[in-house]
Amino acid sequence: MTPREHLRNLALLGAAGIVLALTPYTLSVYLRTFAMFTMMYVVLALSWNIISGFTGYTSFGHVAFYGIGAYACAILVTDYRWHWLPTLGAGAVLAAVVAIGIGYPVLRLKGPYFAIAMLGAAEGTRVVATVWDSLTHGGLGISLPSGENSIPTYYAMLALMLVTIAVCYVVGHSRFGIRLNAIREDEVAAEALGINATLYKLAAFTLSAVFPAAAGGIQAYKVLYIDPPAVFFVQITIAMALMSMLGGKGTIIGPIVGAVMLYTAQELTWVNFPTAHLIAYGLFIVLVARFMPRGLVGLAIDRGWVRKGMIH
Amino acid sequence: MDGCSFVVPRGTISGLIGPNGSGKTTTFNLLTGLLEPDGGQVIYNGENLAGLKPYQIFRRGITRTFQVTRIFREMTVLENMLSVTGLDVPERVARERAEELIAFVNLGHLRSEYGGRLSYGQQKLLEFVRALMTDPDLILLDEPAAGVNRTLLGHLLDHMHRLQEQGKTIVIVEHDMNVIMNHCERIFVMDYGVKIAEGPPAEIQRDERVVEAYFGRRRA
Repeated sequence: MTPREHLRNLALLGAAGIVLALTPYTLSVYLRTFAMFTMMYVVLALSWNIISGFTGYTSFGHVAFYGIGAYACAILVTDYRWHWLPTLGAGAVLAAVVAIGIGYPVLRLKGPYFAIAMLGAAEGTRVVATVWDSLTHGGLGISLPSGENSIPTYYAMLALMLVTIAVCYVVGHSRFGIRLNAIREDEVAAEALGINATLYKLAAFTLSAVFPAAAGGIQAYKVLYIDPPAVFFVQITIAMALMSMLGGKGTIIGPIVGAVMLYTAQELTWVNFPTAHLIAYGLFIVLVARFMPRGLVGLAIDRGWVRKGMIH
Repeated sequence: MDGCSFVVPRGTISGLIGPNGSGKTTTFNLLTGLLEPDGGQVIYNGENLAGLKPYQIFRRGITRTFQVTRIFREMTVLENMLSVTGLDVPERVARERAEELIAFVNLGHLRSEYGGRLSYGQQKLLEFVRALMTDPDLILLDEPAAGVNRTLLGHLLDHMHRLQEQGKTIVIVEHDMNVIMNHCERIFVMDYGVKIAEGPPAEIQRDERVVEAYFGRRRA
């Protein structure tokens, strides 16, 4: 992309940020919550896309990092009287450390083996959170101190979303991102061309862990109660993956589009078909997978509506 | 490979030939770290490279192409090229080098095209110049003539000789004997993982062991 195009995209992001920053006071509580969840899923889908889209290592366990962030916030606020904002950073750092610890062995696996191993890792963190009750309060969960948090958490999630988009944009348009794509395309050839695939995968995996952790922390402070089943819910990982794939895995705009569309579809089907919303939601997913396997952005690229490639 | 040993002189174009399954590509895989030898050494610039990872060997100045092209199909031509340079190389320098090499093989007009949409010959050229991005000293070409028309092959061979003039060392695995005999200074012949002959083209053409390896023993 030319510098002019980068500036244009930055301006668009800034404009979107301004609009979203001005809206919460004009929205009902329901719509404000809807907007916040949508932004959260944008963060989650973009994060999943860093490792699973750019690098091609499909993770079925990214909810682990979301849960780690949620627990970091809840424990530090409740038991150590931290202000909630710095707990987001603490949760992100902890998630990064855990990502390095898990990633080093697990990223040696490929394809479905990696996916299943990550599923196991997520379940493992859920079990740890359940049994380590001296730290996590176990199955009882943690209740955070109540207070007006709707507006602060909205702005925190907005800021997190803008940062996540910016980071993914920079990665996607960098040679670091190109090298991640090369690993996805053909890891053997990538290694033969000088790419230390282990290091790059680990870097991408670690980066993909910090944003879900921060999102989990914000969400914990928003809902004021967490327990292991709620924050290590496998459906969160499934949502991340579906949103990224619907929009266009491996692109930058794809997960954003996918998150907005799928979360909106989910909410509309729930509102309009309360008894059958899961069926309607599932049908929507099947239709997209059947007619747009490369996602919406992939379709746009194939039709020539969007230019190919990240680097021009 | 079984006790195979050869020396490639610097700045030469050498050929590595042999019947199918003789171990030619295996040799390349051992030299470039895709396979780890369970014995022996790979000495390059005085250093034993055996056991190093492929990316470590690449960074020491050895590059290769593959028997079946392994370009990155869902990445553009330019992205294929830029994927090779390390992050320590400034963006501007990497782009200039990429554009120069893309123009070198007349793929400039396709710089934004997906690698998978190129013709087979264009993919061969892309893989060839991609391997040259970091200005390697030793270039291993695995069947560069396979599936390529004569005109394109001529271009490839011209580029190869220009690289030799720049002091590069090239080893080619090939089945096309015209390429081997007319462009290589030294030829190594393998059969069943063993080197059976070595020498200049004229000698190799007359070598009974080479004839036997390709065509079988003469009937009495």
